[in-house]
Amino acid sequence: MKRSKRFEILAKRPVNQDGFVQEWPEVGLIAMNGPNDPKPSIKIEGGRVVELDGKPRAQFDMIDQFIADHAINLELAAEVMQRDSRELAKLIVDVNVPRSEIVKLTTAMTPAKICEVVGYMNVVEMMMALQKMRARKTPDIQCHVTSLTDNPVQIAAEAAEAAIRGFDEMETTVGVVRYAPFNALALLVGSQTGRGGVLTQCALEEATELRLGMRGFTSYAETISVYGTENVFIDGDDTPWSKAFLASAYASRGLKMRFTSGTGSEVQMGYAEGKSMLYLEARCIYITKGAGVQGLQNGSISCIGIPGAVPGGIRAVLAENLITTMLDLEVASGNDQTFSHSDIRRTARTMMQFLPGTDFIFSGYSAVPNYDNMFAGSNFDAEDYDDYLVLQRDLMVDGGLRPVREEDVVKVRNKAARALQAVFRGLDLPPITDEEVEAATYAHGSADMPKRNVVEDLKAAEEMMKRGITGLDIVKALAAGGFEDVAQNVLGMLRQRVSGDYLHTSSIIDATFTVRSAINDPNDYRGPGTGYRLSPERWEEISDIPTALRPADF
Amino acid sequence: MDERTIEQVVREVLRSLGPRAQVSPAPAGAGPAPTRGLDPQTDYPLATRRPELVKTPTGKSLADITLEKVKRGEITPQDLRITAETLYMQAQIAEKVGRPQFARNLRRAAELTKVPDERILEIYSALRPYRSTKAELLAIADELEQKYGAKMNAELVREAADVYERRGRLRSA
Repeated sequence: MKRSKRFEILAKRPVNQDGFVQEWPEVGLIAMNGPNDPKPSIKIEGGRVVELDGKPRAQFDMIDQFIADHAINLELAAEVMQRDSRELAKLIVDVNVPRSEIVKLTTAMTPAKICEVVGYMNVVEMMMALQKMRARKTPDIQCHVTSLTDNPVQIAAEAAEAAIRGFDEMETTVGVVRYAPFNALALLVGSQTGRGGVLTQCALEEATELRLGMRGFTSYAETISVYGTENVFIDGDDTPWSKAFLASAYASRGLKMRFTSGTGSEVQMGYAEGKSMLYLEARCIYITKGAGVQGLQNGSISCIGIPGAVPGGIRAVLAENLITTMLDLEVASGNDQTFSHSDIRRTARTMMQFLPGTDFIFSGYSAVPNYDNMFAGSNFDAEDYDDYLVLQRDLMVDGGLRPVREEDVVKVRNKAARALQAVFRGLDLPPITDEEVEAATYAHGSADMPKRNVVEDLKAAEEMMKRGITGLDIVKALAAGGFEDVAQNVLGMLRQRVSGDYLHTSSIIDATFTVRSAINDPNDYRGPGTGYRLSPERWEEISDIPTALRPADF
Repeated sequence: MDERTIEQVVREVLRSLGPRAQVSPAPAGAGPAPTRGLDPQTDYPLATRRPELVKTPTGKSLADITLEKVKRGEITPQDLRITAETLYMQAQIAEKVGRPQFARNLRRAAELTKVPDERILEIYSALRPYRSTKAELLAIADELEQKYGAKMNAELVREAADVYERRGRLRSA
């Protein structure tokens, strides 16, 4: 066939490098409302669930049992399950019905029921609902801070810059696992140089992650994965019970935590049991609820390519964020993995959370260039900063970031690199040279950094853990190195674990080290003029991008 | 009346409702919170609204945790841990804002404050699939209950032992 020039051009467009697939329900390649999804039902006898979504108790798998026994508020269940799902969907979107009333209904639904309810909504209605149902009134944003070479000096500088750009939570992970203690340390020092009160975590294998938290190198955890079918859960080397125990272990050390799940993981791991992605994800959200965890990171996360490939997949990803909020959980809503070659498509995907606002719109936004992102790239990265700021400004939306001046960024990166230099000196770790500090101050990514002696670093990181170094030693090293203000901030983070205030739903910590959560900043959205609104100061801040001409310029 | 005055009044009323329990190590197995009548609206966050209620395991207050004391070596990692009493207070707040499951997690956590770090990691590992026989899990449950007074955790582990047996997720002896 003679090729049409139009089609030749279209074939070269970025969107056509993306993968797409038609629905295939038998293997779980269907976004939501799958033909094999269970029909909603509940039977309660003597205060015990004896049938859940069409399945009698004798046939319950682990997940059914955990949900039936722990996750559903049974007092209203029978009544709510009787109600028409479309009418319930309308109530959720209705601005006249407050969130607190809706939560009573939604926490009494079964997984199949809640999927049926959100199935009546289009994406605009889901966004309306999300705006009302997110737990914390003020929306926020989390970032990734990682380095292709696990360079600690770069990580510290990046974290400090990210803090002044407005990120209130930061997540790192490793290229080389044994670098983990240094990455966590660099993120902690860098973040607290930028702004006291930023929460930090290091994503690792579950037990290692908990150990770093206990030592005071991190202040929260997120990479506690749960799955929607028993086989995948077991393949993930856990059960709902082991994860529930882990949740309590974190809280027992005063550490905030959330679970992680996402549509597509069961398909990817080959055990979707012919159910739709959203139904399986709903089960994950109920497991989180049942374990008593305050929140969940979802929105497909590392599996976004799978819902992204099927019809309505990005709608289902929005639906999973929404269900999380309907179960009164904090939501860190994804947007955290490279998902499309098309800038149009990746922007549209993010608008679903950006416009209504969530507890953390990104989980996270890559504060480093794509090549440095060790979570396999995020949907937005450091090179998109100015685009993101303009989106906030164009639409008068608070996406959590603020314009910054180059000189301020340079200054804070330099300070963070020097602070880490002092900590390394104080803890007798391999020295950070002035050349490295200078490079980190002006770097865009790890390619701009001098190489470190990796063998020496890894040995020192291991020894540091063996020596029993804790957050207090970091505080002392900072103070001894002349960074009293950063030392105060790191100590401020350690102090948080004594009071436990930030264990609560949707907590963040402001610059005065006061916790702001769904309890003292509850979402009270009731339609136009209510809920979260930009303050005049915040609007001024968002409006004032450095590239905008001022009347004085003419 | 401004907000601050209202807050003051509410606090006085709360105070008159009854004596607040002393913050002291709870006896093993103490389930209920020692502090009654916390109001999420006026008492949360505890660190800023009710700092007098928050103590470290060594009996220090939040205000005692200062940089000067850290520098003098007067603060140890033990001073930077949450107590069971504080977790019970936070559980009470969670219940009052309608989060019963979260409150139960905090109550299990309160029990686990007495279990050493390494033992916690070992128990977590034992709860992973195919790691333990039923007898081993039941022994952990007994240990939690008898040694640490961790009744809710013991119950959770026993429940796991049953479901792992039913679903074939135990280690074959």
